[in-house]
Amino acid sequence: MALHILKRPETEIQALAQALIDAKQQVGLCSVCFHLSAEPVCEICRNTNRDDHTICVVSDSRDVIALEKTREYHGKYHVLGGVISPMDGIGPEQLTIQSLVRRVSQQKPKEIILAISPSVEGETTTLYLGQLLKPFTRVTRIAFGLPVGGDLEYADEVTLARALEGRRELD
Amino acid sequence: MYLKTLHLQQFRNYQEQWVDFLAPKTILVGNNAQGKSNLLEAVELLATLRSHRSTRDRDLVREGELMSKVSATLERQTGITDLSLTLRRNGRRTVALNSENIRRQMDFLGILNAVQFSSLDLDLVRGGPDQRRTWLDTLLIQLEPVYAHILQQYNQVLRQRNALLKKIQSSDEQSSEELTVWNEQLVSAGIRVIRRRSRAIALLAPVAANWHESISGSTEVLQVKYAPNVVTADEHLDELQQAFIEKISSRAIAEQHQGTTLVGPHRDEVELTINQTPARAYGSQGQQRTLVLALKLAELKLIEEVVGESPLLLLDDVLAELDLHRQNQLLDAIQDRFQTLITTTHLGSFDAQWLKASQILHVQAGEIASG
Ligand SMILES: Nc1ncnc2c1ncn2[C@@H]1O[C@H](COP(=O)(O)OP(=O)(O)OP(=O)(O)O)[C@@H](O)[C@H]1O
Ligand SMILES: [Mg+2]
Ligand SMILES: [Zn+2]
Repeated sequence: MALHILKRPETEIQALAQALIDAKQQVGLCSVCFHLSAEPVCEICRNTNRDDHTICVVSDSRDVIALEKTREYHGKYHVLGGVISPMDGIGPEQLTIQSLVRRVSQQKPKEIILAISPSVEGETTTLYLGQLLKPFTRVTRIAFGLPVGGDLEYADEVTLARALEGRRELD
Repeated sequence: MYLKTLHLQQFRNYQEQWVDFLAPKTILVGNNAQGKSNLLEAVELLATLRSHRSTRDRDLVREGELMSKVSATLERQTGITDLSLTLRRNGRRTVALNSENIRRQMDFLGILNAVQFSSLDLDLVRGGPDQRRTWLDTLLIQLEPVYAHILQQYNQVLRQRNALLKKIQSSDEQSSEELTVWNEQLVSAGIRVIRRRSRAIALLAPVAANWHESISGSTEVLQVKYAPNVVTADEHLDELQQAFIEKISSRAIAEQHQGTTLVGPHRDEVELTINQTPARAYGSQGQQRTLVLALKLAELKLIEEVVGESPLLLLDDVLAELDLHRQNQLLDAIQDRFQTLITTTHLGSFDAQWLKASQILHVQAGEIASG
């Protein structure tokens, strides 16, 4: 992208730079689910047609976008903002886990779907959340047969849709 | 299996070198520091994606170059495969089969099988437990390529758990919910490693003992024994899990104090004993060589049995170090069944019959000439 931009006239680059800065300032995080949003509460959280009884927990906003493309999921989301990784100084406190627990204890959803990549860190995050949330409600996880090292982001829509159907109880 | 060609580009001291292997045995002859071991190392890399001499890809790339490529054509009963491995000075390596990039390195392993035997292997007897773990792990990767993934996962859990223990150590936290989860991860990843190591040694030990008996003239009894850090009375999964968890909690205070993981297969040992005495303490260099030779022959047989085809044998300098009796034992064992690449500085110590049946390549300053 950088090379492509360098070929454009300078005025155009200036305009683009300003647009990027504006976008960065405007796009914040939804105060409910922490998905990227220009408004204090995102479109998905505001949408009254969506099922309030299911929360799908993902590590990253990109996962929300990937799951939305499947059009199979009609509940709400919660974006953790990463996965547990002590080597990178990321523990549960660095993620939006406290807010999630608060949200769950207040809203009392019927199901929480954990859709976190099956890496060592993702798996640990899934286990951690499972233990934390099971006292509140039913917790399931997406049983995705994604390739080793594959991320949710790269899974095609069919794979994800199938994964949603095949989710299983966290034991 | 038969390695037909090897193509080295910007690899170690080679610029661009094609090699056609024309006989079941190839002898690479040349002075010191000419590139003999480098060529064997290239084959070892294609087989295991590891090198016993180097852990950094940047060392493998020819000085002054950014990229290196090792390619080979391999004939197996199932057909002919082109393998290639691209190494980068800065960046990740990539692998391809029949010119198609393979995303998981696991799918590349197990195509070419090779047993490496060099004078460094004496460290199997003399060195610390980590040498024997690395040896066993490298063998396992060839027996079950999925083990590469299993081991990588375990090591990742270990690094993460160590980082957490360090953090707990410096913050005086008492207990941690997060640590409980990492414990579970350590146990489940660790058990996968333990069970496979245990299975491999169970298969290897009797074969090695047999070889050792025949080489030493049945005066000595070799015992190869897996001594895991987490010990159980029986191999049952539940038992192992239980023992692992109990050992973690019994060492909890020490772990938090030291800020590192003290329990798990990263502390395993493989015990080598001759006539009930630890081999390290026992005997002469010659006896230790016999032991290593027996282990290597056992590796060959085991891979052949499990994979269903005979692996390559890479003999780096060792032949000359063995006395005639052991040389003959080795040559008898491999015959023409195992394609063998041999390095040496002198052809003098080789049997004349043998020389006649072998392809001889002269290695000089990163170039190979047949002669
Ligand atoms: N990345 C590299 N770039 C250029 N040259 C290298 C590189 N790595 C190693 N070499 C050179 O390769 C040579 C060593 O080659 P090798 O280990 O194959 O020797 P050898 O023929 O087996 O010798 P010996 O008989 O001593 O075992 C050395 O001269 C070393 O400088
Ligand atoms: Mg050498
Ligand atoms: Zn929202």
